[in-house]
Order: sequence, then C-alpha cells, then structure tokens
Amino acid sequence: MEAFLAPRDAVLDWIGRLGQQHTVYFPQPSGTRSFQFERVTEASILTLESWESPVPRAAFRASANNQPPGKRLAPPREQLFTFRRNAAGELEFLPSLEQGFQVLAGVRPCDLKAIHLMDRVNSEGVADPHYLNRRAHTAIIAHDCLQPCDDYCFCEAAGSLHCREGADIFLTPLEKELLIECRTEQGAELLAQAEFAACDDPQAVRQQAEAHRAKPFGRQLAGSLETIGKALAAGWDSPLWQRHVERCFSCGTCTLVCPTCYCFDVHDDIDLHDPTAGERYRTADSCMLGDFAEVAGGHNFRGEPAARQRHRVKRKFEYPLERFGEGSFCVGCGRCGHQCTVDIDIFDIVNDLVRTGGEG
Amino acid sequence: MRALDIQRVLGGLGPDPYLPMSGRLLEARDLTERERFYRVELPRPLGHGPGQFVMVSCPGAGEAPISICCGPRDDRQLEMVVRRVGGLTQVLHGLQAGDSLGIRGPFGHGFDLDELQGHDLLLIAGGLGLVPMRSLLQPIMAEPERFGRVTLIVGYRTPAEELFREELAVWSKLPEVRVIRLVNDRAHLPWDGEVGLVTAPIAGLELDIANTLAVLIGPPVMYKFVLMELLARGLPQAQIFVDLERRMKCGIGKCGHCQINHLYCCQSGPVFRFSEIAQLREAL
Repeated sequence: MEAFLAPRDAVLDWIGRLGQQHTVYFPQPSGTRSFQFERVTEASILTLESWESPVPRAAFRASANNQPPGKRLAPPREQLFTFRRNAAGELEFLPSLEQGFQVLAGVRPCDLKAIHLMDRVNSEGVADPHYLNRRAHTAIIAHDCLQPCDDYCFCEAAGSLHCREGADIFLTPLEKELLIECRTEQGAELLAQAEFAACDDPQAVRQQAEAHRAKPFGRQLAGSLETIGKALAAGWDSPLWQRHVERCFSCGTCTLVCPTCYCFDVHDDIDLHDPTAGERYRTADSCMLGDFAEVAGGHNFRGEPAARQRHRVKRKFEYPLERFGEGSFCVGCGRCGHQCTVDIDIFDIVNDLVRTGGEG
Repeated sequence: MRALDIQRVLGGLGPDPYLPMSGRLLEARDLTERERFYRVELPRPLGHGPGQFVMVSCPGAGEAPISICCGPRDDRQLEMVVRRVGGLTQVLHGLQAGDSLGIRGPFGHGFDLDELQGHDLLLIAGGLGLVPMRSLLQPIMAEPERFGRVTLIVGYRTPAEELFREELAVWSKLPEVRVIRLVNDRAHLPWDGEVGLVTAPIAGLELDIANTLAVLIGPPVMYKFVLMELLARGLPQAQIFVDLERRMKCGIGKCGHCQINHLYCCQSGPVFRFSEIAQLREAL
C-alpha cells in the first residue's frame, strides 16, 4: 500500500476537510484539562497537541484522551430496538441498526489494541450486530507514539505500543512532517483527495523515527504479563485487595474510562407521546458498582468492594488469557489510574501482587 | 488486511440476538401468593432442552432471565413460573391470558438427558428450584424406564409455597420413583409431607454411589449445605450437577453480569458439573 509524507498542518487540513464530508472524530480540547474525541466541524480547531508530547501547554493534562475513541463504536447509551403495540394489541419489536459511516482520527496504539480486543469480544461466540455494524462502517486513522502521553502510560509493558491492527491509515510523527501509511482500501479512499508527496521508502523513514522512541517507554510493570497472570491466580486471598480499596467509593469511573470495559445494563423507555411504544437501550455498566452481581432475592456474589476490585483486575490480566488467548485486556493507557478520584491505580495493584507473588 | 474481516462477520450474522419474539399468553394463573404460572404461545417452536432459560420482556418494564419450566416439546409452547420480587415481575404478574410479551432464547447450557440415562438420579430442589427442575422432571417421568431409581427431594419454607402438588403426586406413584416433600415450618397449615431441611433425608438414603448422579437446584444458600451432605456420602464432584443463578442482561456472554471468575454463567451454565466449578471461588 502507498505511503506519503506531508507537513503536520497539511494533514490537519486534510482531516478538517474529511470532517466536512463525513462524521469524523478527532481529539479536541474539552474544558481546560483534557481532550475528547469530538466531531470535527467547520469551527473545530485541530491541533496535534493532544498526541505530541511533551504537552506544550502545562495546563493541559492531555494524556490519553479522557474517553477512549472506542466509545464511538460502543456508545455508553445505545438503542437496541424499538417496540410498539399494533392495532390488535400485539407487541411488535422493530430492529434498529445504525448505518452511518464514521472516521476515528488520532487513535493511539493503546486504543487501537483495545478496539482489536473489542472486535474479538463482539464477533466471537454470539456476535453483537450493533457493535459490528458500527465497526464495519468505521475507518480508523491511527498514529504512533514516540513519547509516553503522560505519567500514567504503561502501554509498552501492557503490550499495546506496537499494535497496528485495525488501522486504515497509520501516521508516524517525524521531525517536521508526518509519515502517512495507507493500510487498507478504505484508507486509500480517504487519502484519494489528499495531495501528499509520495514516500518511496516508508520503512526506512519509519525506522528512523522509531529510533527516537523513548526507552523504556512509559512505566514498566514489575513482571511480564505471564508473571502477572500467575500472581493473580495465586493471589485470590491476598490482603492487597482490601488494602487497595480502602479509599474506593465504588464509583465506577475506572471502568467508565477503560477502553476494554464493555459490560452493560439494559433499560426500557416508554414514548411519552405514545405509551404503547418505546425503545430498549443499553448503557455502560460497571462491575465496580455495588449491585452489579446481585440477584433477585438480594444475594450478592461480589458484595465487598475488594471482591469487585479483584474481579476487575483479574478480568484485565488473567481471565482474557483463558477466554481469548490474549495476553492482557489492559492496554496500559493509564486512564483508570489517571481519572480515579482517590488515586487507585491498577498499575500499583498489579505490581504489588507481583512483588508478593500474590501472597501478601 | 484487517485482523478481523468484519464484512464477512456481518454477512454471517444471524437474527439480532437482542430482539425478542412476540409471544401470547395462553394461560396465566397464580400457583401461590408470590408465584404465577404462564403458558406462552410463540411464533415458532423454542427448541429448548431441560435446564435452559429465556429472557422475558415486558416492554417498558424491562427484561429478566426466567427458567423454562416445561420439558422439551415440539409445539410452539413454553411454560414458566415467575416469582413476584420487583418491578418487572410485578408487571408480569398483572398479565392475563391473551396478553403478549417478549421472549428471547433459549439460552444457556442445560442438562443432557443422554448423560443421565441409566443412572440412579438424586434430584434436590429448594423452593423455586423446582421450577427449572420440572423441565428435567417432565422428560424423566415420561420415560422412567430410561433411568434407574429416581429420588426427588423438594423443600419449601412453608406449605403455602408448595408448587406442582398434583404433578408430584402422580410422579410419586411411578415404580422406582420416590418423592420426599419437606417444609421448614408447617406455619400452622395442613401438610402431609415431612418437616425439615432438604439436607435432612440425604444421610439416610440408600445410594448406589458409583451409579448415582445428583442434581441440585435452589437458592444460593442451599448449595453449600447440600453439597456437604452429598460429598460426605462419598459422591464424587463430577457426579453432581448444580444449576446456578446469576443476574443476566443479555444471555449471550456480553453484558458481564453473570460472570463467575472467567466463565459466563449464561453460556457455560447455568447447569454445571460441580467438578467444573468447585475451584471457582465466586461460584457458590
């Protein structure tokens, strides 16, 4: 596939132009502290600030964007179907699948890996048509990270830094320009309108850029993913679970910002203008919330915050291996630790477990 | 080029698994103060096995997993029993014959009758556990000669909670079938069964341990104690089946609510061989 070289501004202009024709999401400043994947409009001021570190404006805690881009594939609130009563009073259930094309631009490798994992979750076993339909109508423009995006990042240790799967176009920051590598036909269609200079030897250019990558990249875990899996398997009764939730409010922020958390709850709403009709929708749910595993009759299978914390961590580092053969569902984006209101960091929990071998 | 060929996956997609079919109630009647029985006519045969469940919808009120309470059948009918415990079940209790509701399923891994064939069966149901147990009892009692001795132990809190009394009375007269009915508390009501917990009769049963398979269905609190009794009698873990209850929102291994360690109860269960889950700390 083709490769190009272009100045940063030219690439931003191109993304801006794509935004005139398609639904394009790109990290944009949100408030004064963070970036969000927002729709690109004529009014958008696109900057690469969000992913070129060190962040030039100290007030910005840019980091990985507040919400992962994958939330545009699995929205926190999503309609599943509508229902109504027909003239005979019988219920009718009407499928609703969204069809619009969208572009996710400015996706980091950690989020690319997360999207790859969500692709697997939603296509294996019983396939989820809502996710897959959206995914099939989504193009991804991703970029390499040569510097950790913030102090919370541990993507290299989590094994997601080098993920390229699923990107239609992959950008590598060079000193002055960007290397633009097209990876799919869909990517080529998006690039058709750009007038970028061809790059004859993208591999050499890329390798040159990669030589400037920070080493080690971001925080390093105390052991390999395999060691972590073993420590978790051995550490069911570790007092660390309790120690690491002493401050926890069970608020669910950590799962809300996690790019590989996909648990949901299901609700119905009645149409206020027509009480015989309405919609069923799902909303993001969290295994950290108190009643997540409670059954009718009141028994709660994970009633204690420590049990819920353990479940969350095992679900990232241990269970995925058994279910999907993937090393980790934690991609090391650092969002959960960054956003936690009381500074509980999955990175610290895992490291403590490894250091004690799960025992103390 | 892509890790996942999504177009291909989309091409192979079946019907939307979240979309219910519209069922019509042929019959709706109260069994007890809290439990109501339903017979539903569906647009097509459900094709379920014993121990499976369906997701039942009352649009506007929501959806919940409900055990199927009839044995496998070829017609388009489905039977279930719903206990009134909250918003959705309250609405379900208001439904009458002729009303319509949504059904998805069948879901889950249930019982394999061929696996049970030829064995002595010790079936233990606590309270509402008799409801899913009935989906297994009906095919067993239809062909009792396929099985060895069948012992059914059913326990309720009080006589007022008794379910399917007439059906149990008929089955108890079959050769090689023994039905033990218990209540914890007579509660000053007439009762012709025994008084005690479902664990009480186990120690005194004549069991051919090598050839006995046990099935447990009941509230979470029941399993620990019944399992202790069965294991004390020398029954191996692999010869005990348990039917576990979890909160479920999807039935297809996505929503996360029913997860037991790495297993999804809605797919690997709700029926498990005890040996499969004995090491899972959150199972019971």
